[in-house]
Amino acid sequence: MKIGVFLCHSGPDSINYESVANYARNLPEVDLVRDIGPRPKPDPNLLAEEIRVRQLDRIVLGASSPGRLKPAFTRAMALAGRDPTEVRLASFREHGGGGANLTERAKAIVACASRGVPFSLAAVTELMPVNHATLIVGAGVGGIQAALEIADAGEKVYLVERTGTIGGHMAMFDKTFPTLDCAACILTPKMVAVGQHESIELLTYSEVQQITGEPGAYKATILKKARRVDPKACVSCGVCAEVCPTRVPSEFDCGIAERRAVYMPFPQAVPNVFLVDEASCTYVQSGGKKCGACAKKCPKGCINLDEADGTIEVEVGNVILATGYDVLDARRIEGYGCGKLPNVLTSLEFERLTNASGPTGGRIVMKTKQYNKRRKVDEWVLSADGEPPRSVAIIHCVGSRDSRYNAYCSRVCCMYSLKFAHLVKEKIEGAECYEFYIDMRAFGKGYEEFAERIKSEGAFVVRGRTATVTERDGQMYVKGEDMLRDSVVEFPVDMVILAIGLVPATGTRELAAMLRVPVEHDGWFQELNYNGDPTETERGGVFVAGACHAPKDIPDTVAQASAVAAGVLKSISRGKTVSSRADVNLSSVEARAKTLQVQ
Amino acid sequence: MEELRIGVYVCNCGTNIAKVVDCDAVCEMAGKLPHVAVARSYKYMCSTPGQEMIVQDIKEQNLNRVVVAACSPRMHERTFRKALQTAGLNQYFFEMANIREQCSWVHDDAEGTTRKAEALARGAVYRVACHEPLEKLSVDMCPSTLVIGGGIAGLTAALELAEAGHPVHLVERTERLGGNLARVDLTAPYLDSATDLLIDRITRVRESPAIKVHLSSELKELSGFVGNFEALIGPATNGGQPTTEGRRVGVGSVVVCTGYKEFDASRITHFGYGKLPNVVTSFELEAMLKAGRIEMKDGRTPQYFAIVHCVGSRSREFHGYCSRVCCMTALKYAHEIKSSIPKAYVSDLYIDMHAFGKGHEEFYRQSSEAKTLFLMYDKNEHPVIKRAGPKDDCDMLIEVNEKLSGEVIEIPADMVILMVGMEARPDSGQVARLVNISQDKEGWFIESHPKLDPVATTTEGVFIAGTCAAPKDIPDSVAQARAAAARILAKIARQKIEIDAVFAQVDEDHCSGCRVCNELCPYSAIEFDEKTRHSRVNSALCKACGACVAACPSGVIKARHFSDRQILAQIEGILS
Amino acid sequence: MAIRVNPKLIEDIEQYGAEEVSNCYHCGNCSAVCPHSADPFIFPRRSMRTLQMGLESKLRSSLEPWLCYYCGQCSEQCPREAEPGETMMSLRRWLTSRYDFTAISHLFYRSWKAEVVAIVAMALLTGLGFALYGFSSGDINTYDGPTAFLQSPAVHVFDWTMAGVLTLLLLVNSARMWWFTVGSRTDIRVPLLSYVKRAVSLPSHFFTQKRYAQCGEKGPWLVHLVLMLSYVMMFTLIMFFLHEVQAGPGINWNVHAFGYIASVGLIGATVVMLRGRLKKSRPGNKHSHETDWIFLVLLLYVAVTGVTQHVLHRTGFDLAANIAYLAHMMGVVPMLVLEVPFGKWSHLAYRPLAMFFSELVADALRENARVTTQVGIGSPQPARV
Repeated sequence: MKIGVFLCHSGPDSINYESVANYARNLPEVDLVRDIGPRPKPDPNLLAEEIRVRQLDRIVLGASSPGRLKPAFTRAMALAGRDPTEVRLASFREHGGGGANLTERAKAIVACASRGVPFSLAAVTELMPVNHATLIVGAGVGGIQAALEIADAGEKVYLVERTGTIGGHMAMFDKTFPTLDCAACILTPKMVAVGQHESIELLTYSEVQQITGEPGAYKATILKKARRVDPKACVSCGVCAEVCPTRVPSEFDCGIAERRAVYMPFPQAVPNVFLVDEASCTYVQSGGKKCGACAKKCPKGCINLDEADGTIEVEVGNVILATGYDVLDARRIEGYGCGKLPNVLTSLEFERLTNASGPTGGRIVMKTKQYNKRRKVDEWVLSADGEPPRSVAIIHCVGSRDSRYNAYCSRVCCMYSLKFAHLVKEKIEGAECYEFYIDMRAFGKGYEEFAERIKSEGAFVVRGRTATVTERDGQMYVKGEDMLRDSVVEFPVDMVILAIGLVPATGTRELAAMLRVPVEHDGWFQELNYNGDPTETERGGVFVAGACHAPKDIPDTVAQASAVAAGVLKSISRGKTVSSRADVNLSSVEARAKTLQVQ
Repeated sequence: MEELRIGVYVCNCGTNIAKVVDCDAVCEMAGKLPHVAVARSYKYMCSTPGQEMIVQDIKEQNLNRVVVAACSPRMHERTFRKALQTAGLNQYFFEMANIREQCSWVHDDAEGTTRKAEALARGAVYRVACHEPLEKLSVDMCPSTLVIGGGIAGLTAALELAEAGHPVHLVERTERLGGNLARVDLTAPYLDSATDLLIDRITRVRESPAIKVHLSSELKELSGFVGNFEALIGPATNGGQPTTEGRRVGVGSVVVCTGYKEFDASRITHFGYGKLPNVVTSFELEAMLKAGRIEMKDGRTPQYFAIVHCVGSRSREFHGYCSRVCCMTALKYAHEIKSSIPKAYVSDLYIDMHAFGKGHEEFYRQSSEAKTLFLMYDKNEHPVIKRAGPKDDCDMLIEVNEKLSGEVIEIPADMVILMVGMEARPDSGQVARLVNISQDKEGWFIESHPKLDPVATTTEGVFIAGTCAAPKDIPDSVAQARAAAARILAKIARQKIEIDAVFAQVDEDHCSGCRVCNELCPYSAIEFDEKTRHSRVNSALCKACGACVAACPSGVIKARHFSDRQILAQIEGILS
Repeated sequence: MAIRVNPKLIEDIEQYGAEEVSNCYHCGNCSAVCPHSADPFIFPRRSMRTLQMGLESKLRSSLEPWLCYYCGQCSEQCPREAEPGETMMSLRRWLTSRYDFTAISHLFYRSWKAEVVAIVAMALLTGLGFALYGFSSGDINTYDGPTAFLQSPAVHVFDWTMAGVLTLLLLVNSARMWWFTVGSRTDIRVPLLSYVKRAVSLPSHFFTQKRYAQCGEKGPWLVHLVLMLSYVMMFTLIMFFLHEVQAGPGINWNVHAFGYIASVGLIGATVVMLRGRLKKSRPGNKHSHETDWIFLVLLLYVAVTGVTQHVLHRTGFDLAANIAYLAHMMGVVPMLVLEVPFGKWSHLAYRPLAMFFSELVADALRENARVTTQVGIGSPQPARV
């Protein structure tokens, strides 16, 4: 058999294509090795000629994603009268590109392709003994789901959460598309279950500081930030918060409401205890000289404002990354007036506004000017007795599908924007609602039907992204092209909701570096294999679940979280876990590929 | 017996209930009822403090019955029963009054709704007084699993379980593994090789000693219950006469991965599929690409290509839903066509470009840069394909109202590719009946919760994964298959299955053996003992629907936890 | 009747500059940020769409490209770097070549080499012609008077003949422009009266370019206006007062003063523009087609040589002045002959015409809307789906 190897340098520069080419030359039956540069546009007819002349029986395409070139070569083979199915892909990205030790791996991948053996099959990594405990980073719905799946099998789980409570973004939502059932109603039971589960050790207000060790035996150092409230003793009576003089914007309410320095993120928080935010606490900031009222007033005496951070070490066999997402800072986007115009809200702010447990008890109202006596300034505040907006504009794709911000689509915005339209229509009699969209991406189970339903409820949909939000004598205007009606429209609106895109959670890259897990160019964790192993990573025993891998909605996140649990439970019940792809050694792959080829 | 001490708790559910129902009034009313020791209302009963409130009261006020007036029992009955358990009280000494779904969410007249809520609460209080302590049973969990369907989802699920060391029976109707994926070569958006993925999976399945592959066979019948199913696997008849011979295997769980069927394009007349020679479906093009020969029927190489999205999807006449994968596949074809025929022109007729996943939008952009001509049409209108005239340099013309220009245009085409959507397999109803799961109106299998439980079904121990539940791409199918495996692995690890204590019982001494109930039971939980001529309820299968209880002519079937006494008490409570 | 899509057209127009147009995925940002985009002329998105689909007849009859002054806001705001502004610019070039009934401008825009060759040839021809004439009838050492090397009456006659021919060519092209954009349109009827009513807009746009002033920043408009006015001033001087201009050596202020102002304006403006294009200072300058360079360079050359020959003459170096004059003519003639009817210069005529026509079309459309009470145009409410 005569094999032709074509190498194209697209993809990671860390691959030394030169040496890969030299390696390929010495592979059995390889007759031709050609470097076709970074952006080849192969012409099937020319290729066919060459294939005919050289009598090639098999083509091996080596590249980051060689599939792009395959059709040309397949056709060339057909034109040359050879077997068109004999075009084999040596895909560097598909098998965990972006990881370590890529040149060696590239060689192995080419070797497998030349033998017509899938790399994933030949690259069996050695099995390492596995510690039964699992570390889950991030306690959003993804982390919670994974934790419960594993714990229900009776295995130990350490669930680490950066904030004071578990629940993540989902806990902030009011209703969830497309079924419109309230997020709290379906999430709180799971949160409670996590809090009560004997196999789950909940580490809230904590961060992973360092992870060392090998697949199956990782050692994680976790920083337990000083909560300054004894979680065992606290009965969340709330006296401390009442006496606390400091008011700061509440993270949980996205800054549209205030909290005290000692606070509980929200009533159903798990664990259901207070914590002190050192950044805003007068006592802590003044080095113990001022205030300290809460500690004095606490009936259970469970507040220790001098408590210091601590660290704990845990040994685990598997690590699950479920760090989720942050939302893009909408103030970066000029033209929409976010941060300048009072009634331009981000989608997350609106979620809190319309939430029954939000600052207005679920009433959708505009901000009103109020004089703040302490700061002696006029402030725009939300109060339950504010005026409801008569018309609301919802702008899709804010910072998404835009090379200046996020080139990718954030996947969830279309649907939650439609949900917003429904909520506005439902809660405000006769309110107008405009949806400015580019493509209405209603792809999931029941989504298209949902979209149709919302449209039938009387929301206006404008096919065209809004260009500008301006204010002229107290009235906001949104301007955009309504291309289905071939005109540029400008509507007066009282409230604008920006469907802001999702970005990887802060600290994602650091975590990735710590674990030697590759990330995509746009910062999301990179899976091991897009199709085959969407939840595994380059690193053995390290999994990704949910939105930290790419924007995802709740059902897809939950499915992924459960899938990850399968990986963990599998390794536990067989007592072994796979080592990292980076450790795969060339000769062993060659050997296995050879035996597989014989079969 | 000890004197009754009932605790009543009224939940505000944020404002969900409180906005219509006067919770405090309900609370006050309940407080006055006989045997009621405590009555409280709280913002969120389901929250930890809410539950702790109950636990505390049980301990301190030594309550022995609890009523929670809140949402539907489907939502939180388990939660509160757990609370009772933690307090050391039998969990069946609990009753829930649904004052959200049945009151605040469906009425807006505050006065009347509050009255109704009170009535429901009262009913619950009267009922709970008659509750008896019940114990859950537990049975062994059989570690082996039946996987139906040898597509990517089935293969993945089987491997996950087998590699964990548990036996699997993989049943595939056709004579080879791979399913629909076997017809595909490259996958969007990274153009990875589907072939390699399948070879990898299939080889591993074949190499795995734990997996028994049953080719050209199908599930004939499934009896038993979670942890203890018995499956009859026989030769595939492909919709022919059902046979009952075959091999019986015991399994603890079932994963249904029967996949999808592509939409039949000839059902849509205006595309001329089947009449115009060079109108092909996506799968037909896929085959051409695989063979490296993209040719018209007369052997010429086409110059103008047109790809039509949403064929059979997002339409009034056919399927209302979006098939989720077609947009990306269409972009993949656009790329593949240009790659193999550099001189080709590709027009792409879409409704909305669903490029939502990882790498999708970038792929879309690359396709634009490669000069694919994207044309938008309205989902309520449709392109019409007709033959071109002799003077035209193309074979066909597609007439469509292009939305982004507002023009009625005609697009030259030598080959038209119809992106046929996914639909439920015609025999999915049969499968659903066999494994006793439900389908939606489109024929897809229904998961037990669309968000938080996408792989479980209403029948415990039976899971669904992949495209049999709804259209899905490969990564999502794989994830779902693993999710199903995770559930099963957890169950196997626990070794035992708990079964609800609520089920029907036949008082066999007085059973006349008329067998009315046998036919009636929707869960076929009632077997008939030929020897004693008596019917017997299999408690593990019984879902306590009560059909048999009502039907039994001699009134000798009793439903635990739904005794006449309890129900009458509840009615009395509601009416008084 | 359906219009035929032509996927090939885009490749043709690429050679005029529009290289990124296929990136556009129609979010509509550009049309909404453009200060000039208003019903019934919504652009640039709509034009990009028509271009993507290759609807040649639609493009040819479109006035939108002329309503755009390339302030570049659209390109800055574009989420996919589809360069709407540059697309409009390219369409202007393409339209110029459509209006031109000879294939010449089509050739020039697609091959700058051809244009340069033509210019050089024309320059040599001119040089040769004037040299022969000069030596035959005059003396290379005298600049003015009866024995002048190049005598103003003769040059005057030459200028007028050339001007006549060029005006004719330009008129024909303008007529074609009218036919494509107004005359041939079947959907609208423009009554003669409205031509009269709107006629005033022609001079007002020509001399003020007020639309340009509506763009975000005023600088480009000012420079452009200065260049244009200086050009017109100089043109008038040469066409009507050539004798006085050339007479000397004394300086006749009430003539030359204008000449000096115009020269300063011309040189200043061209230098600013060249600097802008070199430094790519604003989005409008980012992409420079070869023809843009040729136009500016020629203009600068002509202006500079013109000034030189004038100065040399006043300072008594008649020989040098005559040579410079010759060089000057060798620039002027190709510039006018090739740029006026076939090149960038022609937009001096097409733009104001486009404004004029657009007003006519708008009126006609409004009339249609009034008659058939159709709500299509500028309807404030979007579709309720």
